[in-house]
Amino acid sequence: MRGVALVLALVACAAPLAAQVSATVYGTVRDSTTAAPVEGARVTVAGSSLEATTDAAGHFILKRIAAGTTVVQVNRLGYRAHADTLTLASGDSVRVNVSLAASAYGLEPVIVTAGKRSQLLDHVVASVVVLSDSDIARRAVQTADEAVDKAPGVQFLGGQVNVRGSSGFVQGLGARVLLLVDGVPANQGDRGGIDWDMIPVDQVERVEIVKGAGSSLYGSAALGGVVNLITREIPSGVHARVRTIGGTYADPPYPIWRFRDSRGGLGGLDVTGSYGTDALRLGLTAGGRHSDGYRQQDRSDTWELVGRGDWLPSAATRVRVTGSWESHQYQVPLLWCERGTCDDAGQAYQPFKIDTSIAGAYTRSDKGFFAATVEHTASPQLSWLARGSLLRTAFRDIRRPVGDSGVANRAGFELRGVVHRSDERVVTIGGEGARSDVASDVFGNHSHTEFAAYAESEQPLGSLRTTVGARIDYIAVDGGALSAVISPRLGAVLARGRFIWRASAGRGFRAPSLAERFVSTSAAGLSVVPNPALIPETEWSFELGNAAQLSSRVHSDAALFWTEARDLIEPTIEPGGVQIQFQNVQRARIAGLDLALYAAPFTPRFTTWLAYTFLYTRDDTVPTRPLAFRPKHLVTLGADYRWWHITLGGDFRFMSRYDRVELYPPTDPQVAPKVLDVRAEYRAGALRMALLAQNALNYVYNLVPRELAPVRTVSVTATWTY
Amino acid sequence: MRRRAFPQIAPVLLVLATGCNGGLEQIAAPTTCPRAFVGICGTVTFRGRVPDSTAGVYVVAYSTFPRGPNELLTFLPVLPQPLPLPGDSTTFYSVPLPNGHYEWVVAAWRKQGVLAPDFSNADSLLQEAGFYRDGADTTAHGTGIVRVNGTGTDGINIIVDFNAMHPISYYFPQP
Repeated sequence: MRGVALVLALVACAAPLAAQVSATVYGTVRDSTTAAPVEGARVTVAGSSLEATTDAAGHFILKRIAAGTTVVQVNRLGYRAHADTLTLASGDSVRVNVSLAASAYGLEPVIVTAGKRSQLLDHVVASVVVLSDSDIARRAVQTADEAVDKAPGVQFLGGQVNVRGSSGFVQGLGARVLLLVDGVPANQGDRGGIDWDMIPVDQVERVEIVKGAGSSLYGSAALGGVVNLITREIPSGVHARVRTIGGTYADPPYPIWRFRDSRGGLGGLDVTGSYGTDALRLGLTAGGRHSDGYRQQDRSDTWELVGRGDWLPSAATRVRVTGSWESHQYQVPLLWCERGTCDDAGQAYQPFKIDTSIAGAYTRSDKGFFAATVEHTASPQLSWLARGSLLRTAFRDIRRPVGDSGVANRAGFELRGVVHRSDERVVTIGGEGARSDVASDVFGNHSHTEFAAYAESEQPLGSLRTTVGARIDYIAVDGGALSAVISPRLGAVLARGRFIWRASAGRGFRAPSLAERFVSTSAAGLSVVPNPALIPETEWSFELGNAAQLSSRVHSDAALFWTEARDLIEPTIEPGGVQIQFQNVQRARIAGLDLALYAAPFTPRFTTWLAYTFLYTRDDTVPTRPLAFRPKHLVTLGADYRWWHITLGGDFRFMSRYDRVELYPPTDPQVAPKVLDVRAEYRAGALRMALLAQNALNYVYNLVPRELAPVRTVSVTATWTY
Repeated sequence: MRRRAFPQIAPVLLVLATGCNGGLEQIAAPTTCPRAFVGICGTVTFRGRVPDSTAGVYVVAYSTFPRGPNELLTFLPVLPQPLPLPGDSTTFYSVPLPNGHYEWVVAAWRKQGVLAPDFSNADSLLQEAGFYRDGADTTAHGTGIVRVNGTGTDGINIIVDFNAMHPISYYFPQP
């Protein structure tokens, strides 16, 4: 409540400031080579919260700029940053036309996730990876998780996202990464997991991935990192966009593994229409996807509808309403067939076939997401934001002998203020609340409530830029007593010539999900029993990083990280194998190196990158052992060559074998995955065609026990934009 | 030109070479312990008709023969895997075990249903369906002592007779 009061006080104090501003800057941003308008460029006024985004014609307008000397910055992924110094008198209306020069490698200089506000990447104390819309389009992927999967230090295991080995694999329960959609938390209310297909990937303009503990601003779930899906701006005028995809899955490499007579296929269609004026912008996307799957009992169908409206009553105010609905029906392969559990043809295992005891299993999952946000720039020094959101998920598992079902809600709100002081100090302060509830035959009827207040200040201190902040979260389960968790963070950035050093220390936490506390079911004949006494897992996370512009064509980013975790929540089998329960059992350490190197060695048309993550993990339970499902080495190599309207490229990823798996016998065959994706893209006017061969060498592997990873999948995507 | 081009395509060749190598492969059902495996292996020969209420048959090992119902939970591995059912009349099995000696290697039949956390319904859900014994054994629960010492121990063969299973109360009669 103190945070809310302070925000209101700041808003009240800002009224006299607003009366002092008067100048306006407007203009057009174009590509310096082609003179084509650049859409989506971010235009900001240094030292203030004023910003604008260029529309499809490259136009922008910034109003209510303080008179005096002002620096206007223009940033766009794939272009070098641009800055103009202007002297503005009261009442001025100044036109500024900007030509942006293409950059060989796409650095996004302005991000919005790490500090809950726009800030230069160079000022951020944490490690951040940014994927642009062109990165996503070039990869021609179907869902957002496929785009995130190849980011440095990020890996998916059985659908569960790991940032620097944060989560391991716990059957989708209790994600240690927070998902945001346009800054709004979107983890499920019951399991705490993530639905990556909630927003069509074609609507994602960029993805920001902040690594390390982010609880000082985001609270629970941001233990290992934060992933923010930022959707496209709706342009002015009438526009349409059609994206269609079709493809096939490879057959098993050995005839003895064949499980069907014809090749499996996939297909999908997304149609978007939008209309925008200066004051009102509306967009609607409808789409569907079908997949036969690459293994037995693996069909899936998805239908989705996403709408958004932006109302801009003034240049300083934006009201945004977003709604999405998705229905997903999918068969559940669960476990592959081992000797005797299917028609095994005399094999020790059949990775493309399923254990017949789970034949017929499928799940229907429906999700609805609604968010409303009001953003207002009261003055160049003060802006504020208010938002509310609701995520509703419902599932029905059809399995033998009995299925499960449940409905969960997560409602949240936030009030936030950002103050830019004249001494370059930026203060972010806010309050946040969320209530999750579930009604399910496996999780019971329960609720979880969180209230939080947070503040963070970024200020210059000599040649350093320091960041200090903290958040306090109050948590109550089923209306019981509140327990408090404090998450501080301290960091600094030092720019020295071509090198930018950053260091940070922060505390993260994750409250147990309702599923982990209250699950009551059976698995493989064992009772899975609830544990209402679970407490939040916590960690201290330290990082020392360096970003270097080694030459005009070589850029690197490296970080050493160290995490000490306590009370990690893990499924535990009671001695004798009678029951399974989630318990606070682990003290653990995760340390390592995260390295990314980008280069254009011969020509700006040819870009390459290397990402390497080394993980040292230690589970401090007795006896000491490595953490399960954490590969020691993760390497990604990539290259793209642009020529005329065509781009050719590929990614290669290597992952070392796990030192330890959990809950499964060590007889499960494991290999070190080596996966090559190749792609080709053709762009001409409004049409873009992309050919993608994922796992082009048809490397057959599994990331989690008895679950085959995708085989070679060849797809063609066509996108037409009006 | 060829010399200069080679370093540029070397990473591509490296990727192709490593990517083409390995991956999961077809493996015929084993008849002996795999290499680097630590535990016991053998055959299970089934006799009689598999009851319709079967949830699974599991091979587990005890370091010492349980002295009472409370020690029935001391078996290894902690989470045993079911034998393939229905399968051939004789099937190969392998059970990972830590080094040590085991006095009772038993095939446990499990009825469909969920074990109570306090094990109170164990007698109705679990039955001994067969166990390993050496040729000279004539005792009720066998004297087939098995040693595991860093490798797989083969030949731990068991006969499972669905017509002659014994509940827990057979070994530990209720007072």
